[in-house]
Amino acid sequence: MSFIQTAVAWFLGLGSTTIVPIVLIILGLAFRVGFAKAVRGGLTTGVGLAGLFLVVNLIIGALQPAVQALADRMGIQKTFVDVNWADAGIAWGWPGVAGVILAIIVVNVLMVVLKLTKTIWTDMWSYWHGSALGGIVWALTGGNVVWGVVAAVVYLALGSLMSDLTAKKYQEFNDMPGIGVPCGTTVQASLVAMPIVWLLDRIPGLKDWDTSPEGIKKKAGLIGEPVVLGFVLGVLIGAFAYGGTGTDFGVTKILGLGINVATMMVVLPRMVSIISEGLVPITMSIVQFMKTRFKNREIFVAVDCAVLLGHPAVMASSVILFPLAVLLAAILPGVQMLPIASLAVIPFWAGAVVPYTKGNVVKTVIVLLVYMIPFMYFSTLTVSQHTEAFRMMGQYSNEIESGLKLASWDMGGDILGTAIQYVFKLFGF
Amino acid sequence: MGKLIVVACGAGINTSTIAEDSIRERIAKEGMNDVEVKRILMADIEGYLTRSDLVMIVSMMKIFRTFNVPIFQGMPFLIGTQEEKDALLDKIVNQVKQS
Repeated sequence: MSFIQTAVAWFLGLGSTTIVPIVLIILGLAFRVGFAKAVRGGLTTGVGLAGLFLVVNLIIGALQPAVQALADRMGIQKTFVDVNWADAGIAWGWPGVAGVILAIIVVNVLMVVLKLTKTIWTDMWSYWHGSALGGIVWALTGGNVVWGVVAAVVYLALGSLMSDLTAKKYQEFNDMPGIGVPCGTTVQASLVAMPIVWLLDRIPGLKDWDTSPEGIKKKAGLIGEPVVLGFVLGVLIGAFAYGGTGTDFGVTKILGLGINVATMMVVLPRMVSIISEGLVPITMSIVQFMKTRFKNREIFVAVDCAVLLGHPAVMASSVILFPLAVLLAAILPGVQMLPIASLAVIPFWAGAVVPYTKGNVVKTVIVLLVYMIPFMYFSTLTVSQHTEAFRMMGQYSNEIESGLKLASWDMGGDILGTAIQYVFKLFGF
Repeated sequence: MGKLIVVACGAGINTSTIAEDSIRERIAKEGMNDVEVKRILMADIEGYLTRSDLVMIVSMMKIFRTFNVPIFQGMPFLIGTQEEKDALLDKIVNQVKQS
Protein backbone atom coordinates (compact mmCIF):
# COMPACT_ATOMS: atom_id res chain seq x y z
CA MET A 1 0.00 0.00 0.00
CA SER A 2 2.70 2.45 0.99
CA PHE A 3 4.53 1.51 -2.18
CA ILE A 4 1.49 2.53 -4.26
CA GLN A 5 1.19 5.76 -2.32
CA THR A 6 4.85 6.52 -2.91
CA ALA A 7 4.45 5.72 -6.60
CA VAL A 8 1.40 7.98 -6.97
CA ALA A 9 3.13 10.79 -5.12
CA TRP A 10 6.17 10.35 -7.34
CA PHE A 11 4.03 10.44 -10.47
CA LEU A 12 2.18 13.60 -9.41
CA GLY A 13 5.53 15.10 -8.48
CA LEU A 14 6.65 14.81 -12.09
CA GLY A 15 4.88 18.09 -12.78
CA SER A 16 2.17 18.89 -15.29
CA THR A 17 4.47 19.33 -18.30
CA THR A 18 5.60 15.72 -17.88
CA ILE A 19 2.29 14.20 -16.74
CA VAL A 20 0.17 15.70 -19.51
CA PRO A 21 2.07 14.05 -22.39
CA ILE A 22 1.80 10.68 -20.62
CA VAL A 23 -1.94 11.12 -20.02
CA LEU A 24 -2.54 12.30 -23.59
CA ILE A 25 -0.57 9.43 -25.12
CA ILE A 26 -2.72 6.98 -23.15
CA LEU A 27 -5.90 8.85 -24.18
CA GLY A 28 -4.70 8.93 -27.79
CA LEU A 29 -4.20 5.18 -27.79
CA ALA A 30 -7.64 4.72 -26.19
CA PHE A 31 -9.19 6.83 -28.95
CA ARG A 32 -7.25 4.76 -31.52
CA VAL A 33 -5.40 7.59 -33.21
CA GLY A 34 -2.39 5.32 -33.84
CA PHE A 35 0.88 5.05 -31.93
CA ALA A 36 2.92 7.63 -33.85
CA LYS A 37 0.20 10.28 -33.73
CA ALA A 38 -0.50 9.64 -30.06
CA VAL A 39 3.16 10.06 -29.11
CA ARG A 40 3.73 13.10 -31.32
CA GLY A 41 0.50 14.74 -30.13
CA GLY A 42 1.14 14.13 -26.44
CA LEU A 43 4.69 15.45 -26.59
CA THR A 44 3.62 18.49 -28.63
CA THR A 45 1.02 19.48 -26.05
CA GLY A 46 3.52 19.02 -23.23
CA VAL A 47 6.00 21.25 -25.06
CA GLY A 48 3.32 23.88 -25.65
CA LEU A 49 2.47 23.80 -21.97
CA ALA A 50 6.11 24.21 -20.93
CA GLY A 51 6.47 27.04 -23.46
CA LEU A 52 3.38 28.74 -22.12
CA PHE A 53 4.73 28.69 -18.56
CA LEU A 54 8.02 30.15 -19.84
CA VAL A 55 6.20 33.09 -21.42
CA VAL A 56 4.19 33.68 -18.27
CA ASN A 57 7.47 33.74 -16.37
CA LEU A 58 8.61 36.54 -18.65
CA ILE A 59 5.36 38.44 -18.11
CA ILE A 60 5.61 38.13 -14.35
CA GLY A 61 9.23 39.26 -14.35
CA ALA A 62 8.45 42.30 -16.47
CA LEU A 63 5.01 43.34 -15.25
CA GLN A 64 5.06 42.67 -11.53
CA PRO A 65 7.68 45.32 -10.70
CA ALA A 66 5.96 47.75 -13.07
CA VAL A 67 2.47 47.46 -11.55
CA GLN A 68 4.08 47.60 -8.10
CA ALA A 69 5.89 50.83 -9.04
CA LEU A 70 2.59 52.15 -10.37
CA ALA A 71 1.02 51.48 -6.99
CA ASP A 72 3.93 52.98 -5.02
CA ARG A 73 4.31 56.12 -7.12
CA MET A 74 0.81 56.92 -8.30
CA GLY A 75 -1.28 55.12 -5.70
CA ILE A 76 -2.91 53.17 -8.51
CA GLN A 77 -3.83 49.86 -6.87
CA LYS A 78 -3.89 47.64 -9.96
CA THR A 79 -1.30 45.15 -8.84
CA PHE A 80 -2.71 41.88 -10.20
CA VAL A 81 -0.74 40.53 -13.16
CA ASP A 82 -2.87 39.71 -16.21
CA VAL A 83 -1.97 36.24 -17.56
CA ASN A 84 -5.19 35.53 -19.51
CA TRP A 85 -4.65 32.49 -21.78
CA ALA A 86 -2.12 31.07 -19.37
CA ASP A 87 -5.38 29.61 -18.02
CA ALA A 88 -5.11 27.14 -20.88
CA GLY A 89 -2.10 25.95 -18.88
CA ILE A 90 -4.34 25.28 -15.88
CA ALA A 91 -6.87 23.62 -18.17
CA TRP A 92 -4.53 21.10 -19.79
CA GLY A 93 -2.17 20.76 -16.85
CA TRP A 94 -4.29 20.18 -13.73
CA PRO A 95 -4.70 16.58 -12.50
CA GLY A 96 -8.37 16.28 -13.53
CA VAL A 97 -8.06 17.04 -17.24
CA ALA A 98 -8.43 13.44 -18.46
CA GLY A 99 -11.52 13.07 -16.28
CA VAL A 100 -13.03 16.21 -17.81
CA ILE A 101 -12.46 14.97 -21.37
CA LEU A 102 -14.04 11.58 -20.73
CA ALA A 103 -16.89 12.86 -18.54
CA ILE A 104 -18.08 15.57 -20.92
CA ILE A 105 -18.16 13.13 -23.84
CA VAL A 106 -20.35 10.74 -21.82
CA VAL A 107 -22.59 13.52 -20.48
CA ASN A 108 -22.91 15.14 -23.91
CA VAL A 109 -23.84 11.87 -25.64
CA LEU A 110 -26.48 11.26 -22.95
CA MET A 111 -27.86 14.79 -23.34
CA VAL A 112 -28.11 14.42 -27.11
CA VAL A 113 -29.75 10.98 -26.83
CA LEU A 114 -32.29 12.38 -24.35
CA LYS A 115 -32.83 15.36 -26.69
CA LEU A 116 -31.77 17.84 -24.03
CA THR A 117 -29.35 19.50 -26.45
CA LYS A 118 -28.66 19.57 -30.17
CA THR A 119 -25.01 20.54 -29.82
CA ILE A 120 -22.47 17.73 -29.99
CA TRP A 121 -19.31 18.66 -28.08
CA THR A 122 -16.79 17.81 -30.79
CA ASP A 123 -14.43 20.73 -30.31
CA MET A 124 -12.05 19.24 -27.78
CA TRP A 125 -9.85 22.33 -27.76
CA SER A 126 -12.70 24.38 -26.29
CA TYR A 127 -13.07 21.95 -23.40
CA TRP A 128 -10.30 24.12 -22.00
CA HIS A 129 -12.77 26.74 -20.70
CA GLY A 130 -14.50 24.13 -18.56
CA SER A 131 -11.29 22.40 -17.63
CA ALA A 132 -9.69 25.68 -16.50
CA LEU A 133 -12.70 26.26 -14.26
CA GLY A 134 -12.23 22.69 -13.02
CA GLY A 135 -8.65 23.53 -12.07
CA ILE A 136 -9.74 26.68 -10.27
CA VAL A 137 -12.42 24.77 -8.33
CA TRP A 138 -9.81 22.09 -7.58
CA ALA A 139 -7.75 24.85 -5.95
CA LEU A 140 -10.81 26.36 -4.24
CA THR A 141 -11.80 23.03 -2.65
CA GLY A 142 -8.28 22.44 -1.37
CA GLY A 143 -7.31 19.86 -4.00
CA ASN A 144 -10.56 17.95 -4.61
CA VAL A 145 -10.22 16.59 -8.15
CA VAL A 146 -13.77 15.18 -8.27
CA TRP A 147 -15.41 18.55 -7.50
CA GLY A 148 -13.18 20.12 -10.13
CA VAL A 149 -14.36 17.64 -12.77
CA VAL A 150 -18.01 18.16 -11.71
CA ALA A 151 -17.68 21.94 -12.04
CA ALA A 152 -16.04 21.57 -15.47
CA VAL A 153 -18.73 19.23 -16.78
CA VAL A 154 -21.60 21.41 -15.48
CA TYR A 155 -20.00 24.41 -17.17
CA LEU A 156 -19.50 22.61 -20.49
CA ALA A 157 -23.00 21.07 -20.42
CA LEU A 158 -24.51 24.53 -19.90
CA GLY A 159 -22.31 25.67 -22.78
CA SER A 160 -24.04 23.23 -25.13
CA LEU A 161 -27.43 24.66 -24.07
CA MET A 162 -26.22 28.20 -24.78
CA SER A 163 -24.97 26.96 -28.13
CA ASP A 164 -28.49 25.68 -28.94
CA LEU A 165 -29.85 29.19 -28.37
CA THR A 166 -27.29 30.92 -30.58
CA ALA A 167 -26.43 28.38 -33.29
CA LYS A 168 -29.02 29.40 -35.90
CA LYS A 169 -27.98 33.04 -35.72
CA TYR A 170 -24.26 32.17 -36.05
CA GLN A 171 -25.01 29.86 -38.97
CA GLU A 172 -27.03 32.44 -40.92
CA PHE A 173 -24.68 35.36 -40.33
CA ASN A 174 -21.49 33.44 -41.13
CA ASP A 175 -23.03 31.21 -43.77
CA MET A 176 -21.90 28.01 -42.03
CA PRO A 177 -24.74 25.50 -41.85
CA GLY A 178 -24.63 22.90 -39.09
CA ILE A 179 -22.20 24.58 -36.70
CA GLY A 180 -22.59 25.58 -33.07
CA VAL A 181 -20.20 27.46 -30.79
CA PRO A 182 -20.41 26.40 -27.15
CA CYS A 183 -17.17 28.20 -26.14
CA GLY A 184 -17.14 29.72 -22.67
CA THR A 185 -17.05 33.48 -22.56
CA THR A 186 -17.82 33.86 -26.26
CA VAL A 187 -21.30 32.37 -26.30
CA GLN A 188 -22.18 34.22 -23.08
CA ALA A 189 -21.47 37.47 -24.93
CA SER A 190 -24.29 36.60 -27.35
CA LEU A 191 -26.74 36.07 -24.52
CA VAL A 192 -25.85 39.44 -23.02
CA ALA A 193 -26.06 41.05 -26.47
CA MET A 194 -29.67 39.95 -27.07
CA PRO A 195 -31.43 42.23 -24.53
CA ILE A 196 -29.00 45.13 -24.99
CA VAL A 197 -29.41 45.16 -28.77
CA TRP A 198 -33.19 44.94 -28.32
CA LEU A 199 -32.98 48.05 -26.12
CA LEU A 200 -30.59 49.95 -28.41
CA ASP A 201 -32.90 49.32 -31.34
CA ARG A 202 -35.62 51.22 -29.49
CA ILE A 203 -33.58 54.35 -28.77
CA PRO A 204 -34.10 56.96 -31.50
CA GLY A 205 -30.84 58.30 -32.90
CA LEU A 206 -28.83 55.37 -31.62
CA LYS A 207 -30.89 52.94 -33.63
CA ASP A 208 -29.31 53.87 -36.97
CA TRP A 209 -25.94 55.17 -35.80
CA ASP A 210 -23.13 53.26 -37.43
CA THR A 211 -19.67 53.78 -38.80
CA SER A 212 -17.78 52.02 -41.55
CA PRO A 213 -15.60 49.15 -40.36
CA GLU A 214 -13.13 49.65 -43.22
CA GLY A 215 -12.59 53.31 -42.28
CA ILE A 216 -11.79 52.43 -38.69
CA LYS A 217 -9.48 49.63 -39.65
CA LYS A 218 -7.50 52.00 -41.88
CA LYS A 219 -7.23 54.70 -39.21
CA ALA A 220 -6.48 52.43 -36.27
CA GLY A 221 -4.96 49.60 -38.26
CA LEU A 222 -1.63 49.40 -36.46
CA ILE A 223 -3.15 49.25 -32.98
CA GLY A 224 -5.14 46.20 -34.07
CA GLU A 225 -1.92 44.26 -34.47
CA PRO A 226 -0.96 42.50 -31.23
CA VAL A 227 2.73 43.36 -31.53
CA VAL A 228 2.05 47.11 -31.78
CA LEU A 229 -0.73 47.08 -29.20
CA GLY A 230 1.53 45.27 -26.73
CA PHE A 231 4.43 47.65 -27.25
CA VAL A 232 2.25 50.75 -26.86
CA LEU A 233 0.62 49.42 -23.67
CA GLY A 234 4.00 48.42 -22.23
CA VAL A 235 5.45 51.85 -22.92
CA LEU A 236 2.39 53.59 -21.45
CA ILE A 237 2.49 51.56 -18.24
CA GLY A 238 6.27 51.97 -18.15
CA ALA A 239 5.97 55.75 -18.51
CA PHE A 240 3.69 55.98 -15.46
CA ALA A 241 5.75 53.45 -13.49
CA TYR A 242 9.30 54.55 -14.30
CA GLY A 243 9.07 57.92 -16.14
CA GLY A 244 11.61 60.47 -14.87
CA THR A 245 13.48 58.04 -12.63
CA GLY A 246 17.14 57.04 -12.77
CA THR A 247 19.88 58.56 -14.87
CA ASP A 248 18.07 58.31 -18.22
CA PHE A 249 14.61 59.34 -16.97
CA GLY A 250 13.57 55.70 -17.08
CA VAL A 251 13.83 55.31 -20.87
CA THR A 252 15.70 52.00 -20.66
CA LYS A 253 13.07 50.49 -18.39
CA ILE A 254 10.15 51.95 -20.34
CA LEU A 255 11.31 50.63 -23.72
CA GLY A 256 12.26 47.32 -22.14
CA LEU A 257 8.76 46.90 -20.74
CA GLY A 258 7.33 47.79 -24.16
CA ILE A 259 9.30 45.01 -25.83
CA ASN A 260 8.46 42.51 -23.10
CA VAL A 261 4.73 43.16 -23.28
CA ALA A 262 4.86 43.02 -27.10
CA THR A 263 6.67 39.68 -26.80
CA MET A 264 3.93 38.38 -24.57
CA MET A 265 1.17 39.48 -26.95
CA VAL A 266 2.83 37.68 -29.86
CA VAL A 267 4.25 34.59 -28.16
CA LEU A 268 1.48 33.69 -25.70
CA PRO A 269 -1.09 32.79 -28.43
CA ARG A 270 1.66 30.90 -30.34
CA MET A 271 2.28 28.71 -27.30
CA VAL A 272 -1.44 28.13 -26.86
CA SER A 273 -1.49 27.12 -30.51
CA ILE A 274 1.21 24.48 -29.91
CA ILE A 275 -0.87 23.01 -27.08
CA SER A 276 -3.82 22.81 -29.45
CA GLU A 277 -1.71 21.29 -32.24
CA GLY A 278 -0.98 18.28 -30.08
CA LEU A 279 -4.69 17.72 -29.46
CA VAL A 280 -5.65 17.54 -33.16
CA PRO A 281 -5.51 13.72 -33.54
CA ILE A 282 -7.78 13.09 -30.55
CA THR A 283 -10.12 15.88 -31.68
CA MET A 284 -10.52 14.27 -35.11
CA SER A 285 -11.28 10.97 -33.46
CA ILE A 286 -13.98 12.56 -31.26
CA VAL A 287 -15.59 14.27 -34.28
CA GLN A 288 -15.87 10.95 -36.15
CA PHE A 289 -17.13 9.15 -33.05
CA MET A 290 -19.88 11.69 -32.39
CA LYS A 291 -20.91 12.26 -35.99
CA THR A 292 -21.40 8.60 -36.85
CA ARG A 293 -23.63 8.19 -33.80
CA PHE A 294 -26.00 11.05 -34.60
CA LYS A 295 -26.29 10.84 -38.36
CA ASN A 296 -30.02 11.26 -38.85
CA ARG A 297 -30.74 14.02 -36.39
CA GLU A 298 -30.61 17.78 -36.57
CA ILE A 299 -27.42 18.48 -34.69
CA PHE A 300 -25.06 21.41 -34.27
CA VAL A 301 -21.43 20.40 -34.49
CA ALA A 302 -19.34 22.35 -31.99
CA VAL A 303 -16.51 24.37 -33.54
CA ASP A 304 -14.01 26.83 -32.13
CA CYS A 305 -15.13 30.44 -31.70
CA ALA A 306 -12.39 31.55 -34.11
CA VAL A 307 -14.77 30.78 -36.99
CA LEU A 308 -16.87 33.79 -35.94
CA LEU A 309 -14.12 36.33 -36.64
CA GLY A 310 -14.68 36.82 -40.38
CA HIS A 311 -16.82 39.96 -40.45
CA PRO A 312 -14.93 43.28 -40.81
CA ALA A 313 -16.92 44.77 -37.91
CA VAL A 314 -15.17 42.34 -35.54
CA MET A 315 -11.69 43.87 -35.77
CA ALA A 316 -13.09 47.40 -36.18
CA SER A 317 -15.02 47.11 -32.90
CA SER A 318 -12.03 45.50 -31.20
CA VAL A 319 -9.55 48.29 -31.98
CA ILE A 320 -12.00 50.82 -30.53
CA LEU A 321 -12.47 48.64 -27.45
CA PHE A 322 -8.77 48.01 -26.69
CA PRO A 323 -8.01 51.51 -25.34
CA LEU A 324 -11.49 51.90 -23.84
CA ALA A 325 -11.08 48.64 -21.90
CA VAL A 326 -7.76 49.70 -20.37
CA LEU A 327 -9.17 53.13 -19.51
CA LEU A 328 -12.30 51.65 -17.95
CA ALA A 329 -10.27 49.21 -15.83
CA ALA A 330 -7.99 52.06 -14.73
CA ILE A 331 -10.92 54.25 -13.66
CA LEU A 332 -13.31 51.76 -12.06
CA PRO A 333 -12.77 51.55 -8.28
CA GLY A 334 -12.05 48.11 -6.88
CA VAL A 335 -10.85 46.69 -10.18
CA GLN A 336 -7.37 45.38 -9.48
CA MET A 337 -6.14 44.16 -12.86
CA LEU A 338 -5.18 46.30 -15.84
CA PRO A 339 -6.14 44.20 -18.86
CA ILE A 340 -3.24 43.58 -21.23
CA ALA A 341 -3.04 39.91 -22.21
CA SER A 342 -6.80 39.69 -21.66
CA LEU A 343 -7.45 42.20 -24.46
CA ALA A 344 -6.78 39.33 -26.87
CA VAL A 345 -10.17 37.83 -26.02
CA ILE A 346 -12.14 40.91 -27.16
CA PRO A 347 -12.24 39.96 -30.89
CA PHE A 348 -13.80 36.61 -29.95
CA TRP A 349 -16.50 38.37 -27.97
CA ALA A 350 -17.08 40.75 -30.87
CA GLY A 351 -17.47 37.74 -33.15
CA ALA A 352 -20.30 36.50 -30.95
CA VAL A 353 -22.00 39.91 -30.85
CA VAL A 354 -21.89 41.05 -34.51
CA PRO A 355 -24.51 38.50 -35.64
CA TYR A 356 -26.92 40.26 -33.25
CA THR A 357 -25.94 43.83 -34.15
CA LYS A 358 -25.92 42.88 -37.85
CA GLY A 359 -22.33 44.09 -38.10
CA ASN A 360 -23.07 47.52 -36.58
CA VAL A 361 -19.80 48.72 -35.01
CA VAL A 362 -21.30 51.28 -32.62
CA LYS A 363 -23.77 48.82 -31.11
CA THR A 364 -21.11 46.10 -30.86
CA VAL A 365 -18.85 48.46 -28.92
CA ILE A 366 -21.67 49.47 -26.53
CA VAL A 367 -22.66 45.84 -25.86
CA LEU A 368 -19.09 44.81 -25.12
CA LEU A 369 -18.37 47.78 -22.86
CA VAL A 370 -21.26 46.58 -20.72
CA TYR A 371 -20.19 42.94 -21.02
CA MET A 372 -16.61 43.50 -19.87
CA ILE A 373 -17.49 45.20 -16.59
CA PRO A 374 -18.42 41.98 -14.72
CA PHE A 375 -15.18 40.43 -16.03
CA MET A 376 -13.20 43.26 -14.47
CA TYR A 377 -14.79 42.69 -11.05
CA PHE A 378 -15.05 38.91 -11.19
CA SER A 379 -11.37 38.51 -12.09
CA THR A 380 -10.70 40.40 -8.88
CA LEU A 381 -13.11 38.24 -6.85
CA THR A 382 -11.69 34.92 -8.03
CA VAL A 383 -8.02 35.87 -7.85
CA SER A 384 -7.15 33.80 -4.75
CA GLN A 385 -8.20 30.40 -6.11
CA HIS A 386 -7.00 31.38 -9.60
CA THR A 387 -3.51 32.09 -8.27
CA GLU A 388 -3.66 29.04 -6.00
CA ALA A 389 -4.32 26.79 -9.00
CA PHE A 390 -0.98 27.84 -10.52
CA ARG A 391 0.78 27.35 -7.20
CA MET A 392 -0.68 23.87 -6.71
CA MET A 393 0.58 22.94 -10.17
CA GLY A 394 4.04 23.91 -9.01
CA GLN A 395 4.25 27.08 -11.10
CA TYR A 396 5.66 30.39 -9.79
CA SER A 397 5.51 29.15 -6.18
CA ASN A 398 8.20 31.53 -4.91
CA GLU A 399 6.65 34.61 -6.48
CA ILE A 400 3.18 33.62 -5.29
CA GLU A 401 4.40 33.10 -1.73
CA SER A 402 5.85 36.60 -1.79
CA GLY A 403 2.46 38.04 -2.70
CA LEU A 404 2.09 37.78 -6.48
CA LYS A 405 -1.56 37.61 -7.67
CA LEU A 406 -2.37 36.21 -11.11
CA ALA A 407 -5.69 37.20 -12.70
CA SER A 408 -7.40 36.97 -16.09
CA TRP A 409 -10.66 37.67 -17.88
CA ASP A 410 -10.82 34.35 -19.70
CA MET A 411 -11.39 32.25 -17.46
CA GLY A 412 -10.70 34.18 -14.24
CA GLY A 413 -13.46 36.72 -14.87
CA ASP A 414 -15.92 34.40 -16.57
CA ILE A 415 -19.51 35.11 -15.45
CA LEU A 416 -20.83 31.54 -15.39
CA GLY A 417 -17.54 30.24 -14.00
CA THR A 418 -17.59 32.74 -11.15
CA ALA A 419 -21.20 31.80 -10.38
CA ILE A 420 -20.23 28.12 -10.17
CA GLN A 421 -17.32 28.97 -7.86
CA TYR A 422 -19.74 30.82 -5.59
CA VAL A 423 -22.03 27.78 -5.45
CA PHE A 424 -19.06 25.87 -4.05
CA LYS A 425 -18.40 28.71 -1.62
CA LEU A 426 -22.00 28.44 -0.41
CA PHE A 427 -21.26 24.86 0.52
CA GLY A 428 -18.42 26.02 2.70
CA PHE A 429 -15.36 25.76 0.47
CA MET B 1 9.28 26.91 -58.06
CA GLY B 2 7.48 25.80 -54.92
CA LYS B 3 3.80 26.30 -54.32
CA LEU B 4 2.26 27.83 -51.24
CA ILE B 5 -1.11 27.09 -49.66
CA VAL B 6 -2.09 29.34 -46.79
CA VAL B 7 -4.62 28.16 -44.23
CA ALA B 8 -6.15 31.16 -42.53
CA CYS B 9 -8.28 31.47 -39.43
CA GLY B 10 -9.21 34.17 -36.99
CA ALA B 11 -6.79 33.37 -34.23
CA GLY B 12 -4.26 30.97 -35.72
CA ILE B 13 -4.71 28.80 -32.65
CA ASN B 14 -6.95 25.85 -33.22
CA THR B 15 -9.15 25.66 -36.31
CA SER B 16 -6.43 26.33 -38.88
CA THR B 17 -4.21 23.78 -37.15
CA ILE B 18 -6.74 21.05 -37.84
CA ALA B 19 -7.05 21.97 -41.53
CA GLU B 20 -3.29 22.35 -41.93
CA ASP B 21 -2.78 18.89 -40.48
CA SER B 22 -5.25 17.24 -42.89
CA ILE B 23 -3.85 19.04 -45.96
CA ARG B 24 -0.22 18.28 -45.05
CA GLU B 25 -1.00 14.62 -44.62
CA ARG B 26 -2.66 14.40 -48.04
CA ILE B 27 0.06 16.44 -49.78
CA ALA B 28 2.67 14.09 -48.37
CA LYS B 29 0.66 11.08 -49.56
CA GLU B 30 0.55 12.55 -53.08
CA GLY B 31 4.32 12.98 -52.97
CA MET B 32 4.06 16.68 -53.75
CA ASN B 33 7.33 17.77 -52.17
CA ASP B 34 7.29 21.30 -53.55
CA VAL B 35 4.10 22.35 -51.77
CA GLU B 36 4.30 24.37 -48.58
CA VAL B 37 1.26 24.54 -46.27
CA LYS B 38 1.32 27.51 -43.95
CA ARG B 39 -1.07 28.38 -41.17
CA ILE B 40 -1.66 32.10 -40.70
CA LEU B 41 -3.87 34.67 -39.04
CA MET B 42 -6.42 36.15 -41.43
CA ALA B 43 -5.23 39.57 -40.23
CA ASP B 44 -1.77 38.79 -41.65
CA ILE B 45 -3.05 37.79 -45.10
CA GLU B 46 -1.85 40.93 -46.94
CA GLY B 47 1.80 39.93 -46.70
CA TYR B 48 1.09 36.64 -48.46
CA LEU B 49 -1.09 37.98 -51.29
CA THR B 50 1.92 39.46 -53.07
CA ARG B 51 3.89 36.21 -53.04
CA SER B 52 4.15 34.75 -56.52
CA ASP B 53 4.15 31.15 -55.24
CA LEU B 54 0.75 31.51 -53.53
CA VAL B 55 -1.68 29.15 -55.25
CA MET B 56 -4.68 29.14 -52.92
CA ILE B 57 -6.20 30.20 -49.65
CA VAL B 58 -8.07 27.81 -47.38
CA SER B 59 -10.19 29.86 -44.98
CA MET B 60 -11.78 28.63 -41.79
CA MET B 61 -14.21 31.56 -41.62
CA LYS B 62 -16.60 33.27 -43.95
CA ILE B 63 -14.65 35.87 -45.87
CA PHE B 64 -16.40 39.10 -46.76
CA ARG B 65 -13.99 39.98 -49.64
CA THR B 66 -12.38 38.51 -52.77
CA PHE B 67 -8.82 37.55 -53.66
CA ASN B 68 -6.87 36.98 -56.87
CA VAL B 69 -6.26 33.31 -56.03
CA PRO B 70 -8.91 30.63 -55.50
CA ILE B 71 -10.29 30.38 -51.99
CA PHE B 72 -11.68 27.24 -50.37
CA GLN B 73 -13.91 27.10 -47.32
CA GLY B 74 -12.24 24.73 -44.87
CA MET B 75 -15.19 23.99 -42.59
CA PRO B 76 -15.45 20.31 -43.69
CA PHE B 77 -12.07 19.74 -42.01
CA LEU B 78 -13.69 20.65 -38.71
CA ILE B 79 -17.13 19.11 -38.95
CA GLY B 80 -17.24 17.00 -42.12
CA THR B 81 -17.43 13.24 -42.47
CA GLN B 82 -14.42 11.43 -43.90
CA GLU B 83 -16.05 11.49 -47.38
CA GLU B 84 -16.64 15.25 -47.25
CA LYS B 85 -13.07 15.80 -46.14
CA ASP B 86 -11.69 13.60 -48.92
CA ALA B 87 -13.82 15.43 -51.51
CA LEU B 88 -12.43 18.78 -50.38
CA LEU B 89 -8.87 17.42 -50.35
CA ASP B 90 -9.39 16.12 -53.93
CA LYS B 91 -10.43 19.61 -54.99
CA ILE B 92 -7.43 21.18 -53.27
CA VAL B 93 -4.98 18.71 -54.82
CA ASN B 94 -6.47 19.26 -58.29
CA GLN B 95 -6.18 23.01 -57.90
CA VAL B 96 -2.54 22.71 -56.84
CA LYS B 97 -1.77 20.48 -59.83
CA GLN B 98 -3.36 22.98 -62.22
CA SER B 99 -1.55 26.03 -60.93
